[in-house]
Amino acid sequence: MLEVRDLECRYGSVAALKSVSLSVEKGQIVALIGANGAGKSTMLRSLSGLLVPSRGSIMFDGEDIARCSPPQVLKRGITHCPEGRHVFPDMSVEENLDMGAYLRRDMAGIAADRAQIFEQFPRLAERRKQIAGTLSGGEQQMLAIGRALMSRPKLVLFDEPSLGLAPNIVERVFEIIAQIRADGATVLMVEQNAYAALEMCDYAYLLESGVIATSGKGADLIDNPHVQAAYLGG
Amino acid sequence: MSEFLQHIANTLILGGTYALLGIGLTLIFGIMRVVNFTHGELYTFGAYFVFLISSVLGLNFLLALPVAIIAGLVLGALIELLLLRPMRGADIDTTMLVMIGAMIVMQNSEQLVWGGVAKSVSTPFPETPLVIGPVSVSYLRVFVLVMALLLIAATYVLINRTKLGKAMRATFQDRDTAALMGVNVRAIYTATFAIGSSLAAAAGALLGPAYVISPHMGDIASLKAFAIVILGGLGNITGAAIGGFILALAEELGAGYVSSGYRDAMGFLIIIAVLLIKPTGLFARAERIG
Repeated sequence: MLEVRDLECRYGSVAALKSVSLSVEKGQIVALIGANGAGKSTMLRSLSGLLVPSRGSIMFDGEDIARCSPPQVLKRGITHCPEGRHVFPDMSVEENLDMGAYLRRDMAGIAADRAQIFEQFPRLAERRKQIAGTLSGGEQQMLAIGRALMSRPKLVLFDEPSLGLAPNIVERVFEIIAQIRADGATVLMVEQNAYAALEMCDYAYLLESGVIATSGKGADLIDNPHVQAAYLGG
Repeated sequence: MSEFLQHIANTLILGGTYALLGIGLTLIFGIMRVVNFTHGELYTFGAYFVFLISSVLGLNFLLALPVAIIAGLVLGALIELLLLRPMRGADIDTTMLVMIGAMIVMQNSEQLVWGGVAKSVSTPFPETPLVIGPVSVSYLRVFVLVMALLLIAATYVLINRTKLGKAMRATFQDRDTAALMGVNVRAIYTATFAIGSSLAAAAGALLGPAYVISPHMGDIASLKAFAIVILGGLGNITGAAIGGFILALAEELGAGYVSSGYRDAMGFLIIIAVLLIKPTGLFARAERIG
């Protein structure tokens, strides 16, 4: 479904990604783990069009999207749920969800999806008129996820979905991600909580200093001595 | 007392137009982070458009306002596409210099086309004023106030109720995330600059016929717009609307009870006072628009 080849991405003279290749199959959950500054967020930002890679290709459903703008990428079915939630702070919960459906024209479908998200996240339904900036961190993360789903994505990119959340909320976020896959979408997630990510994913890539250091099934990476020493605390 | 009521009536009429001027400028700054030095020239442009339509071409005066608004939209979009879009990502100082250059070119073009002599516009409204108790206002000025209020209301609806307005607010609050939602941020910038410009042109088209029109009328209008925006808090539309009326009140009372020579100085006194006491503006709510 997604095939990244030799991707290079630079900030000025610094290459944040050096020749990264990875692939995601339809229906999988794929995890991208690594330390801070390894290039994980850069990877997602270049997939969603916020950054233009200096070299390489990003094939999605047989089409190179490496030079597409964010709206063009979204139109093809990839949504990006950014790190730090980034809800629109001065908009209501409802308006945030509507922004997720910005490119859609099917009013009935949008209303049905919104109702479904409210059913899935009752906290958001209770607060539908509330300004998003006043929600708790966990509620904001639910809103960010709901907003991403409003575009009816084929592939969801999650950037650090568990960052800064209370442990019980973290568990809930991972349940939701599993549910998104069960509902038929594909997931690529960047996660600093390496153990949780490796446990739930089908396949994982380890990014170190802008290159893929190793990759494999989640369970295999958990057993990998290098991964254990560097990312799983032992 | 009757003198005071007259000042209040004048304040309302002047304030509506000032509010339009301020909303246009604050919208552009809030969403694009561009300090728009051409704002006053767009005001002049709107005023000359009314002169062109009603005095030169002899068409209906009432037609002039909508035509000036559309012309302001087009000119604003052109400025954005030709001057600002290539400058995106450049330093704010560089962009400011470009806008100052554009202002000089626009002002001199007005002078070249229309000459330096001030022009007045004849209107279809009766010469005798409307008298309500102790207050007397010309029918033209009542028209100016009603139109200004309608345009302010239209801007509110646009920002708060339409899909374009929602995309503008999203871009203001978080540009990258708005792009991830599918918002074409470059198109939002063009639309924002065009709308802000058309509000300035509308203000000129309304207030121009109430005074005389000259190529340099934009200088003081620009300064007043900046005073209003600083008063209301940068990027705050409600603040700019209220700021417009506060500036008008200060000018009216200053001119009425201090000296008419100090009318235009009031704006600067307000800027100084606000910057000393509350530099984020009277109505600053951290960072927001709407």
